[in-house]
Amino acid sequence: MLASIAKKELVSALRDGRVMWSAAIFALMLVAALASAAQRYADISKEREAAQSIVNTQWQNQGEKNPHAAAHYGVYAFKPVTPLSFFDTGVSGFTGVSIWLEAHKQNFAEGEPARDATAIARFGELTGAFTLQMLLPLLVILLGFAAFAGEREQGTLRQVLAMGVSPVKLLFGKALGAAGAAGLFVVPVFLLGLIGLTLAPGGSAFIGHALVLVGVYTVYAAIFLFLTLAVSAAADSSRSALVIMVAFWAVSSVALPKVAADAARLVYATPTTVEFQKAIAADMENGIGGKTLDALVAERKEQTLRLYKTDAIEKLPINFQGIVLGLQEQVSNAVFDKHFGLLNGAFDKQKGVFEALTVLSPRLAVQMASMELAETSLGTHIGFAGQAETFRRSMIDTMNKAMTMNSTGANPDYRAGPELWAKVGAFTYTHQPLSKLLAGLGPSFMAMLLWLAASIVAGVLAARKLKALAS
Amino acid sequence: MFGIIFRQELRVLSGNRTWWAILGLLVLLTVAAALNGKARFEQMSATAAKLNQDEATTQTALKNSVQRYDANPVGDPPSVASPGNVGLSILGHYAVMRHDPLAPLSVGQSDVQPFYYRVTAHPSHTFLSASEIQNPLSQMTGSFDVAFVMIFVLPILIIAVSFDLMSREKEGGVLGLIAAQGVTLRTLILAKVAARALILVSLLLALVILSAVLVGAPFTPPVMTQLALWFAVIVGYAAFWFALAFLVNAMALPSVTNGVILANVWLLFVVVVPSIVNVVASTLYPAPSRVELTTEIREATEEADKEAASAREAYLFDHPELAGASAGAMDGFYIQVLATDAAVEKVVTPIMAEFEAQAEKREGVVALLQYTSPAIAAQQALNALVGTGNERFTDFVGQVLKFHGDWRGFFTGRIIKGQRLTAADFDAIPAFNYQAPGLTLAQGMAWGPIVFLLIAAVLLSAWAARRYRRYPVV
Repeated sequence: MLASIAKKELVSALRDGRVMWSAAIFALMLVAALASAAQRYADISKEREAAQSIVNTQWQNQGEKNPHAAAHYGVYAFKPVTPLSFFDTGVSGFTGVSIWLEAHKQNFAEGEPARDATAIARFGELTGAFTLQMLLPLLVILLGFAAFAGEREQGTLRQVLAMGVSPVKLLFGKALGAAGAAGLFVVPVFLLGLIGLTLAPGGSAFIGHALVLVGVYTVYAAIFLFLTLAVSAAADSSRSALVIMVAFWAVSSVALPKVAADAARLVYATPTTVEFQKAIAADMENGIGGKTLDALVAERKEQTLRLYKTDAIEKLPINFQGIVLGLQEQVSNAVFDKHFGLLNGAFDKQKGVFEALTVLSPRLAVQMASMELAETSLGTHIGFAGQAETFRRSMIDTMNKAMTMNSTGANPDYRAGPELWAKVGAFTYTHQPLSKLLAGLGPSFMAMLLWLAASIVAGVLAARKLKALAS
Repeated sequence: MFGIIFRQELRVLSGNRTWWAILGLLVLLTVAAALNGKARFEQMSATAAKLNQDEATTQTALKNSVQRYDANPVGDPPSVASPGNVGLSILGHYAVMRHDPLAPLSVGQSDVQPFYYRVTAHPSHTFLSASEIQNPLSQMTGSFDVAFVMIFVLPILIIAVSFDLMSREKEGGVLGLIAAQGVTLRTLILAKVAARALILVSLLLALVILSAVLVGAPFTPPVMTQLALWFAVIVGYAAFWFALAFLVNAMALPSVTNGVILANVWLLFVVVVPSIVNVVASTLYPAPSRVELTTEIREATEEADKEAASAREAYLFDHPELAGASAGAMDGFYIQVLATDAAVEKVVTPIMAEFEAQAEKREGVVALLQYTSPAIAAQQALNALVGTGNERFTDFVGQVLKFHGDWRGFFTGRIIKGQRLTAADFDAIPAFNYQAPGLTLAQGMAWGPIVFLLIAAVLLSAWAARRYRRYPVV
């Protein structure tokens, strides 16, 4: 019985010009989005890799220098891209692409692509994720809004129910049929995408991510499908079912994310760049653990002189200047940890507001999960910045130690060379393993499953109360 | 006859709960959006006020210490009398853009493009790349402002009240009866649309004025002109969607099909076309690579630094303050810095010019392709009118660059000549004075969309009116 209901639904969907046109346009857009993603990945990944290797070579070939001069020269860390980061560009339009790793400073990433874009980009970028998040629900609504209400208007619902078909079976049969119709268009595109991913250089490492993404978007479509069927069963006409579902889609998918963004900003304020830098400068003056840098230097000076049993810095067999630089880093690192920690904490709380509002918007839940899996979320960016900072600290530490040990009174013209530069190594970004990404997705997954459960329950309840005739 | 139907429609609408709910929703969303925009811009104004305070304090402190030396010039001048130390290291001047009073109505690009830069005597690329701390998640999502309500939500509300204007009468079976009264269908639907449009447009006028009041805009003549044009864009946009509904109703399709068609057209114009136009504009004229810019700047810096290596060493590798240098001695270091800056700038300037040229071409493509979607046209005009479009920020950067030239000239002249700064010099340091561009720029950008929207509405209505002649009443 279930199969024949599903088959009938599928056939009538395939015969409906409105649905077929919409589905074809949707599939076309999705293909276009994926093709452009493949192209952009090829271009941009090459560019980032080339830049990183140029910078690494520049560092290695910088010639002979005092280590602190090299520390000022520093290196750049370029954020690598993954094939999926063009399926869902997430926040990557609004975060910088490179960080300068230099002495004394923890810099922000720079070069946000959004600043080189036109205002139209704010309507949304044509990506696979955008197409699926915005258009897939509408396609599903089109497939399902008339499922019950339309049959009631035509009078066929009365006949079907008179045959003793269970309304709940009818619900799942119709869901299956609609899913089949949508699947005819979507599944080939997904397969195409997966094949493209395996062919892309480095893409096979992200097949797992992609499969989870397929799951996420399938659940998303299912949520809208059952909600639409529920509304179609309960509404007094197919016209009002359509209006209700389109209104729900517009409010929850288009308006609510913006409300979330502004609410987050108003509830958990972040400092301005100037405030942030001022706070850092003030704490640099204050020092750490109640001791200013000057006090720390004086203390260390005394210890060092005692250790080497001498009375003047000039007589030390090491370079005290290098130790001072090290202390400077120690203070500034603690201050950076505190303030970047506060800032990232505020961002985290703001993200919490988004997550809380997933209760009202399935799109928001899917959006958060999708970005995370595509490694284009804010969390991924902060993770990249964190790895770059760890690299910076070890690089500066290596330079300061070399200066302390070698640039001594006996050897004032000490110059470090390629051996020291090589010790620093090259910055490489370590991707989060999928298991770790999934662990961070708890709130979004929970919201999606709740939505799915609620929509199925709503569908079943509405089907049970199904009226054969319009009242 | 038009009058009778018109008044009858008004009566019917006044008792229609859905209609009131839709109007109420529009009011609620607009008020919330206006207040939200206001909060955002108040934060920015507060930031701007503080920038200027900080800077004045620093400058006064510097001036005071130089003044003490001026009064009693014993020994070497203090390091803060070094024009290099002040202009290239200590002091910067915040060049701040003033937002238009109506800017909160349409946040536009103001959450992406900085509204202030800290100008120093270094090359401009060093400070133009700075940006304000913001949660990228919020930037990606965009702001909930009045322009959003008008561009995204208003068409949905219009579709909701007009998708079944004619089809419903037909499905109800009363169309034949009405036609038998000697009323032409055109008169009937026109009266229906007119009643709805009149109420909605009056409400929109009230809402636009209310929003301006809520964001605290003063009603000066230029603001009134801006507001009037803003309203004109919204009316043109609303007219377009009404005309579209009018046309779709003329196709004599079932109500549900009308709804599906209109929802799809909304999706097409508000979501699909903009994302495609964006791809077209950025593919035709992509920005040069910022990644490559980074590596090229680095190459140039390293090259220049090699030449200046010995000089840098004398200053403890970029720490002249640790070398305990006085003003005169420090300037030797800063002359080297200037040389490096000049070498880097030579590389950067053509690339920056390329950025600018490509951006201009990109905006040119958008100015042309905005007519592929009423939503894009409306967005461009609504941003331009309140000064939150890219063109406004480009103009600001232009003013900053001009000021940068003055600021730089002031310090570099003195560095090269080896002059120390006197207290009087501190009063003569150039200050940035933002000149808001006149309304002509914005108006020029707004008239195109306004005329386009109105013409589109008229054409669609005319087409629809022809079709109503052959509309089957049963």
